[in-house]
Amino acid sequence: MNEPSWRSVFSIVLASARMRLLTITRYPGQLILDTFIPIVFAAMPILLGRAGGEENAAIAFQRNTGTANYVAYLLIGSSVFTIVSFAFWHVAYWLRWEQESGTLEALYLAPVQRIWIAAGTALYSCGRGLFAALTAYFLGAIILRFNPIQGELGLALLFILVGFIPLYGMTLLYGAVILKVKEANALVNLMQWSVSFLMGIFFPITVFPPLLKTIALLFPPTWMTNGVRSALLGIGFFLGHWYLDLAVLWGFMLLSPLLGYWVFHQVENQVRRNEGVGQF
Amino acid sequence: MFRIHWHTFWAMARKELIILSRYPVEFVASFGQVFLIVAIFTLGGLMFSNFRNPMDSETSGGNFSYSGVVVYGFILFMFLSDTLWSIGYNIRHEQVQGTLEQLYLSPANKFLNLVARVTNILLWTGMASIAAAILMSSMIGQLPIKNPLLGLYLFLMSLSGTFGIGFAFAALTLRIKEAAQTVANFLQFLFLILCANFFPFSALPPFLRFFSRLLPLAYCVDAFRSALMGFPAGFPELAPFEAELVIVTLFGVFMPFVGYRLYCAAERYGRQAGTLSAY
Repeated sequence: MNEPSWRSVFSIVLASARMRLLTITRYPGQLILDTFIPIVFAAMPILLGRAGGEENAAIAFQRNTGTANYVAYLLIGSSVFTIVSFAFWHVAYWLRWEQESGTLEALYLAPVQRIWIAAGTALYSCGRGLFAALTAYFLGAIILRFNPIQGELGLALLFILVGFIPLYGMTLLYGAVILKVKEANALVNLMQWSVSFLMGIFFPITVFPPLLKTIALLFPPTWMTNGVRSALLGIGFFLGHWYLDLAVLWGFMLLSPLLGYWVFHQVENQVRRNEGVGQF
Repeated sequence: MFRIHWHTFWAMARKELIILSRYPVEFVASFGQVFLIVAIFTLGGLMFSNFRNPMDSETSGGNFSYSGVVVYGFILFMFLSDTLWSIGYNIRHEQVQGTLEQLYLSPANKFLNLVARVTNILLWTGMASIAAAILMSSMIGQLPIKNPLLGLYLFLMSLSGTFGIGFAFAALTLRIKEAAQTVANFLQFLFLILCANFFPFSALPPFLRFFSRLLPLAYCVDAFRSALMGFPAGFPELAPFEAELVIVTLFGVFMPFVGYRLYCAAERYGRQAGTLSAY
């Protein structure tokens, strides 16, 4: 079989992303909710902290995290959480949805590589995640009253954009688990909370014991979150300089998609040889 | 008649429990998830305290001790959240799977189908709540248990009222179908803020506290944790305890009936319009 041209590959990716975008535009309420969920999430620890007095909260927070601007710190955490959570939900749930609606097996018969359809889903997910995270951050800044345009905004955005690739590489690993174990909902929920915990959504990972801290540092979202926080709030990069932290993310960017694709491919072949992808 | 209803209820509850047992990964994962949520929010809260040096309380969030506020609020939130999804939104599953209309062709009491889901919640959420309470109190301090009997009464009334909300939400699900997923998410977060499950009501801006005072569930949270914490200074926060007790009791007694009536109305509408199986 001839290899498809880049043009046709691009068209597959766009068609897959467009199909999902079309579906979500039919649920505008969900899009609005996407923006508010990170704000509500961040509001929980913010309100809890303020219960002891706003000034005390800032002093204690500064001592524990390196910044007194706890509102921005927590909102950045929950906004990045939205991106991570969407990545897992959209990719893993895409597989599950195709399985349940009986179209996954049909996809395997189509003259298209699944990876490009997955890339389309990832593209849609990136767009939706980025939109939700940015609107949540800026809207949250207005509601919770802090200046969102502070620090190095461009650098923060760079950390997010570079972090997208290893993140979606990781979701392929997870897609493999869904293909094998099938129970998507519970696993995605568990995974999104595990990653949120490890990336330090509301706290620095320095509170972890050494082993847990090492595991956390193996997760690209941890570097992504700290990079964004350091760029905006100046809490300090893990390796002292932004370019060193970014270099680690670049390393993940090369490794994670390759590893994800390889594992996904292995599991996919195994499932096809045994029960088949149509069973769920 | 009662015996027939009991058998129907038991058969439906058993079906739910069998389904639960057939997804062991989901079972274990949802348990792990509770632990992670608890750990995330607890560690987030600890950032406002001097937890590395607890003896120095000068800047550790004042003298505010939040273990009781957070843990008891979280328990009620878990039940509310599970009720919205298990009783309310799960009616969609029957619709999507095509079994809802079949249920209406059987001579069994349809309402018991809803009530049977309560068994799962009591069993599963109950276990998860106990585990979460133990974990949270080990992380943020000793849990005060001052008036256990009063606390139990308030808890049962709150639970009964929450189930009523679940029935009402099931009615709404029958009407708005897939959009119910968004509404469930929205309600969950709205209640999380307005019922102040994770923080004292005093932390809410005054205009939001006004809306909290309109929700019986907020009084449940306030009365339940105030009673178990032994009514420390400033608690309960929304109204005098006697008033909250009356509100919680009325909510617990009447809300299931209100929810049931709403469900019956939605069901009647669905049958007349022929939309029960449409999704």
